Amino acid sequence: MIRLCALAAAAVSILAQYAIWFYAPVEETMGEVQKIFYTHMPMAWWSLVSFVVVFVASILYLAKRRDVYARLAGAAAELGVLMSGLALATGMCWAKPIWGVWWTWDPRLTTTLVMWFVYAAYLLLRASDVGGQRKDTVLAVLGIVAFLDVPLVFISARYWRSIHPAVLGSQGGGMEPEMWLAMAANLVAMGLLWLALLAARTKQLAAGAAVTALLRHGASRN
Amino acid sequence: MGKEVYLFAANILVWVGLGCYVAFLATSQKRLERRLNRLEILNDDN
Repeated sequence: MIRLCALAAAAVSILAQYAIWFYAPVEETMGEVQKIFYTHMPMAWWSLVSFVVVFVASILYLAKRRDVYARLAGAAAELGVLMSGLALATGMCWAKPIWGVWWTWDPRLTTTLVMWFVYAAYLLLRASDVGGQRKDTVLAVLGIVAFLDVPLVFISARYWRSIHPAVLGSQGGGMEPEMWLAMAANLVAMGLLWLALLAARTKQLAAGAAVTALLRHGASRN
Repeated sequence: MGKEVYLFAANILVWVGLGCYVAFLATSQKRLERRLNRLEILNDDN
């Protein structure tokens, strides 16, 4: 399943890159630089999906106490931090030529940065040596509490005075059908890659935990 | 500097970022394999 997903992601990514550089029309006001949208948007979108997975897996871990949910939450948090970081970085590349600054304390940008720091702290705690099931419980609680910021990121550009556009919230978003198609291709490509990476990392964490348990068992026998 | 440079930079950033994560997964996999080998040696000793 992972291999199939990765192959599909590679194939769709080629199509998505073609859509960015050759298929999508050049926007009138911003010019070529608007095409950053096609990489920026999927990063932001899949990072939010990652944090939804962390939230749901954390609830399931607290309810059922199965390690698979803790590992799924950990893998999703890694991808969420990576992709929200890349969304911030690509957003800065877009902001500089259009707004004239790399960064501004706009509600959407600020809530996204806060979200990035909260989940980066989650990963730091996860990587720490404070051990055992207690750490998994603390992480699950943090995974639920941290999610409070995610809806704020989503609604910030719609309900607060923000210079960041809310494309999906507005009617049509002022985009041509070719632009929607290019965005869809990039969303699907990143989605497939996200799924492949999430599955691979969750499997890897499971294998790591199994090996650790066996090594401990072997050490205690000796 | 033309505005296209920012488009190139954003695209490169994304693929470098994703590439780094894949490299991190590959390194973790290698570490896991080393630990598995250690486990096999431990089993052989017993």
